[in-house]
Amino acid sequence: MSASRTRKVLWSFTALGGAGVAASYFVAGAPRFWANWTVWFLYLFTLALGALFLVALEHLVSARWSVPLRRIPERVASLLLPLVAVGIVALGALPVLYPGAKPEAASDPVLAGKAFWLGVPFFSVRVLFCLALGLLPLWILIRGSLRQDRDRDPRFTIRARRFAPLCMAIFALLVTVAAFDWIGGLDPGWYSDVIGVYLFAGAFLAGLAATTLAVLSLKGQGRLQGIRFDHLYNLGGFLFGFTVFWAYIAFAQYMLMWYANLPEEVVWYQAHLGGLWLGVALLLALLHFFVPFFALVPRDAKGDMKRLRWVALVVLAAHWLDLYWLIFPALGQRPLFSWPELAFALFFVGGALLWLRGAMETGEDMPVGDPFLEEGLEFRL
Amino acid sequence: MNPEASYPSGLPQTLRAPAMTVGTVTPGSLDDQVLRFPAQAPPRKWYLALAFTSLVACIGMGFIGYTFYTGIGAWGNNSPVFWAFDIINFVFWVGIGHAGTLISAILFVFRKRWRNAIARFAEAMTIFAVMCAGLFPLIHVGRPWLAFWLAPYPNQRGLWTNFRSPLLWDVFAVSTYFSVSLMFWYLGLLPDLASLRDRTAPGIRKTLYTILSLGWRGAASHWQHYEKAYLLLAGLATGLVLSVHSVVSFDFATSIVPGWHMTIFPPYFVVGAIFAGFAMVVMVLIVVRESMDLQNLITDFHLEVMNKVILGMSCLMGYAYVVEAFTAWYSMNPILHHTFLNYISGTYGWAGWLTMGCNVAIPQLLWFRHCRRSYFWMILVALGVTVGMWFERFVIIVVSLHQDYLPSAWHNYRPTLVDYGILLGSFGIFFSLVLLFARVLPVIATTELKAILPGAQPGHGAHHE
Amino acid sequence: MSETFAVLGLFDSADALMEAIPKVRAKALGRVEAYTPYPVHGLDEALGLRRSPLGGMVLVMGVLGVLTALLFQWWMSAVDYPLVTGGKDPSSWQAFVPIMFEIMVLFATFTAGLGMLLLLNRLPHWGHPVLQSQAIRGITRDRFALAVEADGAFDPASARSALADAGALEIEVLPVPAAGPMFTASFIQRSLAGIAAACVVSGSLLYWAIKLMPVLPPMVHMENQPKLDPQESSTFFKDGHGMQLPVAGTVARGFLPFAMTTPEQSAGLVNPLPRTPAVLARGRAQYQVHCAVCHGVLGDGVPTLTAAYGAKPANLHTPAIRAYSDGTLYGTIVLGKNAMPSYAADMAVDDRWAVVHYVRALQRALNAKDEDVR
Repeated sequence: MSASRTRKVLWSFTALGGAGVAASYFVAGAPRFWANWTVWFLYLFTLALGALFLVALEHLVSARWSVPLRRIPERVASLLLPLVAVGIVALGALPVLYPGAKPEAASDPVLAGKAFWLGVPFFSVRVLFCLALGLLPLWILIRGSLRQDRDRDPRFTIRARRFAPLCMAIFALLVTVAAFDWIGGLDPGWYSDVIGVYLFAGAFLAGLAATTLAVLSLKGQGRLQGIRFDHLYNLGGFLFGFTVFWAYIAFAQYMLMWYANLPEEVVWYQAHLGGLWLGVALLLALLHFFVPFFALVPRDAKGDMKRLRWVALVVLAAHWLDLYWLIFPALGQRPLFSWPELAFALFFVGGALLWLRGAMETGEDMPVGDPFLEEGLEFRL
Repeated sequence: MNPEASYPSGLPQTLRAPAMTVGTVTPGSLDDQVLRFPAQAPPRKWYLALAFTSLVACIGMGFIGYTFYTGIGAWGNNSPVFWAFDIINFVFWVGIGHAGTLISAILFVFRKRWRNAIARFAEAMTIFAVMCAGLFPLIHVGRPWLAFWLAPYPNQRGLWTNFRSPLLWDVFAVSTYFSVSLMFWYLGLLPDLASLRDRTAPGIRKTLYTILSLGWRGAASHWQHYEKAYLLLAGLATGLVLSVHSVVSFDFATSIVPGWHMTIFPPYFVVGAIFAGFAMVVMVLIVVRESMDLQNLITDFHLEVMNKVILGMSCLMGYAYVVEAFTAWYSMNPILHHTFLNYISGTYGWAGWLTMGCNVAIPQLLWFRHCRRSYFWMILVALGVTVGMWFERFVIIVVSLHQDYLPSAWHNYRPTLVDYGILLGSFGIFFSLVLLFARVLPVIATTELKAILPGAQPGHGAHHE
Repeated sequence: MSETFAVLGLFDSADALMEAIPKVRAKALGRVEAYTPYPVHGLDEALGLRRSPLGGMVLVMGVLGVLTALLFQWWMSAVDYPLVTGGKDPSSWQAFVPIMFEIMVLFATFTAGLGMLLLLNRLPHWGHPVLQSQAIRGITRDRFALAVEADGAFDPASARSALADAGALEIEVLPVPAAGPMFTASFIQRSLAGIAAACVVSGSLLYWAIKLMPVLPPMVHMENQPKLDPQESSTFFKDGHGMQLPVAGTVARGFLPFAMTTPEQSAGLVNPLPRTPAVLARGRAQYQVHCAVCHGVLGDGVPTLTAAYGAKPANLHTPAIRAYSDGTLYGTIVLGKNAMPSYAADMAVDDRWAVVHYVRALQRALNAKDEDVR
């Protein structure tokens, strides 16, 4: 398909999706609309943050093998820009889905003590603050990287390494606050201090998977010629390792709450594992852990382009399913899935792909100004 | 390929390639430098050090014997804080072991070649630390001679072990960790033992090395399977680093004691373990480096990188503390609030401040390059971290237990002389084993280091990642 | 001259070795093996080695480990001796996962380590000719060796020249080791004898240890516990006996003291137990144990005792006894009457009242009116 035809197809999908999204507000009801919006906002937000984390990590540990690849997650992270708008719209979900943000919370015995935290004003301030703060690493790391293409100044590399810890701290703050607010806030009596780490695991996997898909797609177009099996193997290795990490965190949280059987904690799992939601949870375990794990266990599979492509797609789908499973039980006991969800998928996937297509033309495909590009291209396992 | 070539004016100092070895190091010179130690008699100061650590170890063993003879009451066990020092020491030593596995296994999986110079020593420390750790569950049961009851074997009592108990998961996790670490360490030693075999004149030592090296001859077909096994073991050991300390954290997190039932405990404990372990590795490595003149192999770069890891882990610990405190407040659970206030005030509030100071505040010194390169500051931070991590477990156990749900059961805890003696003794055992290892076996994995020297691999002149 | 096992050529760098390999392999003189002090990249492909099957073996054994752990935990916890602990179902899989993971790692580790050593590399093997060569000193230090091993028709001279052409610095011919087969009769005998001796020694030691250990302190401490066992003496009491009578005035449960001194005085007591089938059944059981021997199964004073007993038990159906109140019957049980001893020690309070109910039921049964039957 030619570039313009792809663009037309994407625009039409996005437009169709957009129409469905708008319609769903009136037909399917406000709670369902907002649940979908929240899921997709978090999905793209965590995906972009995951890609940003990958970039910051590379600078933090002075990784050389990943230098040729680095431009790709930088471009994926640029999604944080349009997400500011998506996030501002998502604030509309607060009075609808978040019990702590409703006026009744002030009189609830459990919620009263933290009503100021859960209430709409402070919640919104936090959201806006996080959306804005996410742009800071974008500015430091990615804008500088693009500028380095032109001026070939090694001082950016030094500056990036120096600022990487700060970017990491910002990332940690954003992911933790997002997890506690958007996911924990749906059931404000419940609490789990590992949900920040849980969301991080999902975010990093999503960012990695998106990066992998983008790399493979560009290679398919004949770009990124220097990227070999050795580089892809490392990407596959990270996907493999963090699949295990996600499963470990997910199981740890579940098992601890199952074991202690405290009423204030177990209600969350009862809602998320009750009835048909158990099937969704099992599907999530399958797609998020078992399938990618066994698919990537063989050494060759970790660097194989065909395998990586479909595993990355599965991981991206699984991350969506994860957020769906985390958020939709707030709507009720039955998992809802029909045309509104598909419309939202069309709209947001189409929109994100349109944005990313544009992003993939920003700057060079590899950070040509980086002093370690050659060494990264020479990398052997 | 050489980044300097793109920059005729020269790369800034901070971006130049790190010096993993200093000066010319050839495989031959490496062997001569490292493998001479098992062959030559140790210097007097080694004997003095060993005598001192053995004495401390014997004192500890004496106290353990006393405990066996008199019973656990010798530890001043009093409701509601039972076994405190024992559990603290157990978690502490298992944690120390994790750094070794991280260096030897996880860094291997990430292909960080700089780990080669320090991996062998770190792994040995893991094994010794796990041995010290395993001592504590053994001695804290009332009848240690019946400790084999913890194994699920068919018996005439007609009983099986309780698989629902995290204490039993611990038994499996720690014994698996010990077996796997031992296997990994031994496999890594094989080629080095072969080198020792071929350097040693015929005699008892050569026979011993011959037997232990299993007839290793460096055949390419053997290397192929060996490398595969090593990579697989590194991957498996990586999984163990996460799982073993998580299972240890389950001892606490599965309960409903306030302050213990936090879902972040598994990754928090793992980070703490790596943190404490790296501090211990840094301290011991400095001693080894200086006393065995290995500054050209264990370079400033190694120490700097390890200090950076310590700094990173310190920040993660800070994150965990903040998230735990926030969640405790967020829970709106008055008992949890009370417990968290006890962490910073009350009878043991001093321990809470000591913990945070040593774990989060002091390591921030490592932001400064001078501190990462100066022995004084490094050791100060490392000692602080060791103390801080021990006290962290103290705080978790004693503060949460001494005042939990029922005020009528609240009671302060006071350790006894026997407790202190056993803690000290465990350090004696650990350092005695480290000293013995340093003179009997090669402290640096010469084979692995040879493989990454300049010119070692065909077609490439420079280091790998 | 003994047969040649292999011809070895030594090189001093990995590059030199890698250049030599295709040259030597092209001559197809025998099996080509390389010996290096450390693993060299690209050596496997250059020598044409097949991929190591270790990965697959470890995966299979790892999965087996998971299933084994699941199976044995489930069988022990849920099938063989199911116990509910912590309020959890005996077959709760969540609790099995940590051990499943650890056993998986254990199986996989031992497969990787021992499989690599024993199966794939066939180590330990101390008799290989290379270990007896001059070259081995260099091989484990800093020399790289290329060996052309004899298989079938082998010409050491052409192997030598091939290696020399390829750039070998030194060449060594390895003879097949002169030592005879390993498993001679005497070797087997000595091994068996050694094993037998080891078994006898360790068996005896174990036997005596197991016999001896429980009587050594501290193992023996649980045997002599400070608590008082029956028939033990005690320094605590003045008379030195461990077993003492209860303090005067001690009342056993269910055996509260009775304030009345004659059955007539207790006439006013009211039966506290309800008249339910359970109470009556209890009463019947107690009556048949304690009372029926004298008063007869039907309460008619026809005892199962022999006539030699002497005394004449009362017939409970006489008008006089039927006129007794419940309290008087109770008092009779507690205090006895005439030749009947007190049964207070034999029956607890509730049992006595149950018997009273039963006696009443007997009395009604044996003096029934027509209305009772209808």
